[in-house]
Amino acid sequence: MLQTVVINIIRIIFLILLQSLVVSRIQLFDGLILPWVYIFGILMLPFETPRWLTLFIAFAVGLLMDYFSGPIGLHTSACVVLGYMQPIVQKILSPREGYDLTQRPTVQKMGLAWYLTYAGVLSLIHHGWFFFMEVFRFSDFFYQLLHILLSTFATLVLMTIGQYLIYNSKSSQS
Amino acid sequence: MRNILVLIQRFYLFLLFLGLQAVALVFLFKNNNYHQSEFIHHSSDWVGGIYSKRAQMSEYLRLGEINDQLSLENAQLRSQMPQNFGMIHLDVDSVRDSITFQRYTFMTAKVVNSSVNREKNYITLDRGWNGGVKPDMGVIAAGNIVGVVRSVSEHFSVVMPVLHSDFKASVKLKKSGAFGSLVWQGGDASIADVIEIPKNIPAAPGDTVFTSGFSTFFPAQMMVGIILEVDDSDNDYHLIRVRLGADFRKLDHVLIVSDILKEEQDKLIEGVENQDAANSRH
Repeated sequence: MLQTVVINIIRIIFLILLQSLVVSRIQLFDGLILPWVYIFGILMLPFETPRWLTLFIAFAVGLLMDYFSGPIGLHTSACVVLGYMQPIVQKILSPREGYDLTQRPTVQKMGLAWYLTYAGVLSLIHHGWFFFMEVFRFSDFFYQLLHILLSTFATLVLMTIGQYLIYNSKSSQS
Repeated sequence: MRNILVLIQRFYLFLLFLGLQAVALVFLFKNNNYHQSEFIHHSSDWVGGIYSKRAQMSEYLRLGEINDQLSLENAQLRSQMPQNFGMIHLDVDSVRDSITFQRYTFMTAKVVNSSVNREKNYITLDRGWNGGVKPDMGVIAAGNIVGVVRSVSEHFSVVMPVLHSDFKASVKLKKSGAFGSLVWQGGDASIADVIEIPKNIPAAPGDTVFTSGFSTFFPAQMMVGIILEVDDSDNDYHLIRVRLGADFRKLDHVLIVSDILKEEQDKLIEGVENQDAANSRH
């Protein structure tokens, strides 16, 4: 239990530093592709996390990220949406007998197809909300749509590669 | 009463979500207001500290390029030294120059963090109020305008660069002398637009764009960029695409412009405006 809490906190802080010091420097096609990989820290919260706690953690992660990059409130807003939707998506995707306590939302525990659906849907929700809040104009709608889809795809690719790098199938405890 | 409690119990998660979302949106929209940016965002000192560590590391890897830039700028400055200019002729009595005085001073600063790929980009500098930086000072790099200081903490300051959807500066075309506004509409980090110049005033690619000196952010005649193309498909005004002089992807060393007369100028115009407002009330 305590170990899970500590690992999740370390993971969240590490990902926010990784995002702001390394990943945000990636500038592909004049900002058309902008992955936000720090949401991995929220996606990896254990299934048994209470929903109110997920919301508060998401709020805190967003606020911390905002301190690193740009107007306060932007990441916070998108993360709160993510934190609200995450348990709902988990419930929709749950296996018939529900999740058991040893399961984690990782490729190794849940399988690649499950993981890609889970992370893909939630990244799309987060990125969609984020980029529309940031720009807030519908004049170049298709550019924005392309922006959201490509960024989501980049985030998903980076997070999946990260999973294979960090977790090996035998010792993924949290 | 009990029904309400049951309702709250059932929907408390959704209410919590709405509450947190409301807090986030209040932060966002309060902070977006340009003149009320009391809220210090990422200029807070500990975030700035982390960014300046990274900037130190990446700067080390680019020392060669930075040296080239500095020696180029040195050469340019040296060529402007007074002993390089000969006197051509003097057919009036010269006047002792006690009527000129210094208006602008410049402070160096280093960029510790910047972005170019957002709609609202920001630049963090390693100089804050204890280095003499105040909000609304202009920032230039190698003679090209970069942006305006927006908020300041003890050791760091945050600049709103040209590459920000709320940025606006008064500029002037070199050939026609017409005034317009410089804005950035997203996308390419090396191109901005000049708007509000009527079509009857000629504008052609290759012309230079300068600051007008109307605002107290920048001195007049600061380089902004070169006209790339003129788009006349819109009805009344030119849409002039300008290639910016500053390379926002590679900013390291910048100068912060401090206008000694800023307060005087702002106070004067404010006084006149207040007077007008008072008159119109009668």
